[in-house]
Amino acid sequence: MTASVPSRLRLTRPRRPGLVATVATVGLLAVAGCAGPAPQSTDGTETLSLVATLGGLDTAGYERALEVRDFVFPEDHGPHPGFRTEWWYVTGNLTSREGRTFGFQFTIFRSALAPADPGGPSAWSTNQAYMGHFALTDITGEDFRSEERFARGGAGLAGAQAEPLRVWIEDWELSAADPAATGTVRASPFPMTLRADGKGVDLELVLQSGKPRVLQGDRGLSQKGAEPGNASYYYAHTRMPAEGRVTLDGQTYRVSGLAWLDREWSTSALSEGQVGWDWFALQLDDGWEMMVYQLRLEDGSADPLSDGVLIDPAGRRISLSWGDQVTVTPTGRWRSPVDGAEYPSGWRVTVPDRGWDLSVEPAVLDQELRVAFRYWEGAVRVEGVGERGRPIRGRGYVELTGYAGAGIE
Amino acid sequence: MRLLTKASLRYLTHHRLQLLLSVLGVALGVAVVLSIDLAIQSAQTGFRISAETVSGRTTHVLVSDLGSVDERLLNTVRIDLDITASAPVVEGFATSSVLPGRALRILGIDPFSEGPFRPYVAGGSTGLDVSELMTTRTGVVLPASLAEEGGVSVGDSLPMVVEGEAWSVPLVAIIEPADELARAGLADVALMDVAGAQEVLRMVGRLSRIDLRISDDEAGSAELEAIAGALPDGVGIESVGTRSETMSGMIGAFDVNLTALSLLALIFGMFLIYNAVTFSVVQRREILGRLRALGVTRDEIVRLILTEALWIGIVGALLGTLVGIFLARGLVGMVTRTINDLYFSVSVQGIDLRPFLFAKACVLGVGATLLAALPPALEAAGANPRMAALRSVVEGRARVLVPRAALVGSILCAVGIGVLSIPTRNLVVSFTGLFFIITGLALITPAGTLVLVAAVRPLLGRVWGTLGLMAARGVGASLSRTAPAIAALVVAVSVTVGLGVMIQSFRGTLVQWLDGTLRADVYVSLPGPTASRAAGTMWPEVIEDFVGHPEVSGYSTYRGMDLVRDGEAFRLVALELDPRGEGAFDFLEGSSSDIMARFRAGEGVIASEPYVFRRGLERGDSVTLSTASGDRALRIIGVFYDYGSEQGTVMMSRSLYDRLFDDPGVTSLGLFLEEGADSERVVGDLLALVPPGRAVIARTNDTLRSASLEVFDRTFQVTAVLRLLAFVVAFVGVLSALAALQLERARELGLLRASGMTPGQLARLVVTQTGLIGLAAGVLAVPMGIALSIVMIFVVNKRSFGWTLNMEVGPEVLLQAVGLALVGAILAGVYPAWKMSRTSPALALRGE
Repeated sequence: MTASVPSRLRLTRPRRPGLVATVATVGLLAVAGCAGPAPQSTDGTETLSLVATLGGLDTAGYERALEVRDFVFPEDHGPHPGFRTEWWYVTGNLTSREGRTFGFQFTIFRSALAPADPGGPSAWSTNQAYMGHFALTDITGEDFRSEERFARGGAGLAGAQAEPLRVWIEDWELSAADPAATGTVRASPFPMTLRADGKGVDLELVLQSGKPRVLQGDRGLSQKGAEPGNASYYYAHTRMPAEGRVTLDGQTYRVSGLAWLDREWSTSALSEGQVGWDWFALQLDDGWEMMVYQLRLEDGSADPLSDGVLIDPAGRRISLSWGDQVTVTPTGRWRSPVDGAEYPSGWRVTVPDRGWDLSVEPAVLDQELRVAFRYWEGAVRVEGVGERGRPIRGRGYVELTGYAGAGIE
Repeated sequence: MRLLTKASLRYLTHHRLQLLLSVLGVALGVAVVLSIDLAIQSAQTGFRISAETVSGRTTHVLVSDLGSVDERLLNTVRIDLDITASAPVVEGFATSSVLPGRALRILGIDPFSEGPFRPYVAGGSTGLDVSELMTTRTGVVLPASLAEEGGVSVGDSLPMVVEGEAWSVPLVAIIEPADELARAGLADVALMDVAGAQEVLRMVGRLSRIDLRISDDEAGSAELEAIAGALPDGVGIESVGTRSETMSGMIGAFDVNLTALSLLALIFGMFLIYNAVTFSVVQRREILGRLRALGVTRDEIVRLILTEALWIGIVGALLGTLVGIFLARGLVGMVTRTINDLYFSVSVQGIDLRPFLFAKACVLGVGATLLAALPPALEAAGANPRMAALRSVVEGRARVLVPRAALVGSILCAVGIGVLSIPTRNLVVSFTGLFFIITGLALITPAGTLVLVAAVRPLLGRVWGTLGLMAARGVGASLSRTAPAIAALVVAVSVTVGLGVMIQSFRGTLVQWLDGTLRADVYVSLPGPTASRAAGTMWPEVIEDFVGHPEVSGYSTYRGMDLVRDGEAFRLVALELDPRGEGAFDFLEGSSSDIMARFRAGEGVIASEPYVFRRGLERGDSVTLSTASGDRALRIIGVFYDYGSEQGTVMMSRSLYDRLFDDPGVTSLGLFLEEGADSERVVGDLLALVPPGRAVIARTNDTLRSASLEVFDRTFQVTAVLRLLAFVVAFVGVLSALAALQLERARELGLLRASGMTPGQLARLVVTQTGLIGLAAGVLAVPMGIALSIVMIFVVNKRSFGWTLNMEVGPEVLLQAVGLALVGAILAGVYPAWKMSRTSPALALRGE
């Protein structure tokens, strides 16, 4: 299960489960058409009407995440075009040799606009759409920049393939660093190269696998709603050593740090009544990771499907049940300068049974992606008490959706 | 002053017919100018709106001379050069059986790339579901107006013929752009996904162009530079402004043609007005003289007449505006049709009622009226009060004026010729010269009339005796009234003669050219959006089947491309000629067989007369083309007469073309048949060979020839309409002027009746006299019309199009002119004669 779920892009309450990412991609595409080259923000009414026009979407013709399956690699690194939605979601914290710290987010979403490919002789012909989000937080410089891209999965503009791994939208790319070598180490795309640019930022990283991949949910089947099929297939790499360079306004920094990859595909996932999503991916200095998400319901409460998980230094997965085994309490507020939308900013995260008590603070207050659908996703600092009561520090990423624009009812 | 106003009103109300005709004269002048201006404006606006809507916020485009670029170029630009605001566009035309008479503009786009360019492709305001468009193969989106017109709704299939192939494309969405401009611009657009557009237009792998949005700053210039450096040979970057200028430049010559017509209409309208006003003044000399005698000052007289003229001008201009709008509705259809025939598909959404054009027409109408009224007003005011009243004095003076007017007229003609010999392509200059000549000839007409009447007097005397002599003398004796009428009549008739001769010469030249050029027996092409230029690419297998027909003994292939180079459009043609087709070219100079031998050998290109004329080139100069391997200069080895394209054409042999360009396509085919073969039957055979779902147009030589002439006739429809208008106005003018003249002679005729003339004799006298005037006008109009046509053919046409036309003066045009004047004049005499013969002489003698 995941935080990088569709609701990351969620605009408003879905009419039915699982629409969100598709709505988001298609909607974004339409809205992107209205705005200039870099849509800064959109107005809520238009978004809502788009959702209304897309209200007829159903799951017929798509593959569904109905039961536990065997993951097969390298194929599963690549696309699953029979499912409506899929993403490659990488976040991470980096430090330069000079000690300058950065956070980054790199996401490529794939969305099937229809179950079947239209066919035809043209290289442009496709039912696959791609959207990319890229953000860099210059923590030291207290600066945040973000950019989005859209492209069809045709004519070479965007696409995904398993072997050698390559997922790209224009020149943003996540790929096997040495395509020739992947033939020999078949199951792994590592080391991987990540490349993105925009708004004066250029990022190039090589990612190692670090810990073994984690299959989320029940052996990789992540149930999101009560109905069968309202689920996704989901795995993650929670601690990938990253090395490379960040170029910011012409200044290049050699950087290294840790990254986190979420891979998920689904056709329908979410339940009704959810208004937003707070997601935490924390990487602690002692080798532990924590992932917690809270699905917020209309009435302000947390959906019982909210969840948490710990991953120990050996890569073992420890589930936490929401509410008693893990708690998240906001400790501060931040208002978006765009329209005053209020986000929580700063949290206390506890795992009472294990004695964990962490303070999570944004590395930079304003890390709101002012792309077609606004959300806050940013680097955070972690400090507090961790496993066995030891003081601990860490870094991580937090995503907050449903606070700005159309998400607010 | 109040008294004067009353006098003026009284005169006008008593001469209601005359008043009406004066107003009508102004109105017609204004209407013609306005309607032509409106028609041109509307066609241009239609073109501009549709171009702007289709190019959206594009600033630059990547285009190739050959009409398409490799689709991978987009990736180069977008990914390698990181130009985010870049969009692929695949464009073409289609027709649909549910939308008869319309050319649909297929606009193939990638919705994901459209953000910076075309807002209507976005969802949002139009509610367009782009995912349906992308995921439905060959899916199409129509604007609401088209869908309604075609009676199709979402989910239906739209039958379409594209490049000769029949398609049934699913209608996936209907858009209704919120703003009026986008609605107008999209009125003929069938929006498709780039994939679908490539498929139906048979452009898989190619894009018509790549739209770019480059900022107008340093970063933008750097981007442009980077792009320019990365472009493959044969692909260029153009700013949208230049591009649309080039496109509208294509209709520019046509535009000029119509502007010329509207200038002509203006000249013509001024004469009408002048005639009307002069007549109303001349007729009132007596009254005006009396007023002067009673102490009314000169200024007051001038003011009186000018005020009258002002009112006539205002009412006429208003009326003319209404008539003009009405006329424009008809003209705009013809103008659009012509543009579609000759240039490209344009859809005109109603009339563009620019306030400026109304202001221009009204100022013109009122101004011309005042200007025309000024000389007679000054003349009337300047007269000695006593003398003014005396007809004999007036006529005496008029006679003295005749030779002087002729002298001034001759000088004006000389000035006009001088102006015309200024080497310029500016039409206003040409028309200024023309105006001088027309005015000059008009001034010579009274003298001409006198000479003419003197010449026929003996003949009339012999035929009709005293009555004939009286009629002839009458014309000369009432010169003060008849001269303006005759001059106006001559101008009007000569315009119809001039236009008639020009059209006739043009058509004759075209027929001759077609006879020489169309050598093959059967012509095959694809159905396309414009009637006169073949487009698209024929299927190789169909060509193979056709040339394999047992009765086909040889063939020529033709590849035509519309290119733009240095902002000027022209057509590039590659020819593979059957030996029988080689004689088709008529060269300005040089031996045809030598030139054709060098042409075959690929030593250079041949260029059409308009091409070299427009660019100031001549034989031996070279033409630079962007080929697949960069710019290449090719020598012009011959210049041929060509009336097919006013932009100009450059032709090369197919073998040379294949060396220079990577384009195996064939646009059309000329087939030579075995001796004695029935071409109609062969055409039937060939059409039967075309696989189902495809369409070609196969025409026999005769059919193509007459189709070409049809297009020509349509092109000159506007001119013909104007000529007809000139005709009608001339007729009305003659009728009114002469009828008024005769009615005014009531007293004189009453005297004749009283002295024993029978009503029949009187009628004969009147009709003979008006007929004489008509005849004089008709005869004088002939040389003047021919002079006009010489100017139009050898100066205006040559200068604006570079065409050499053979002048052809057919008797029917001349007879028409003389007949028009004569019939009009005789009819003008009939009513007064009939009226006089029914009035008792005593009553007539009482006068007013």
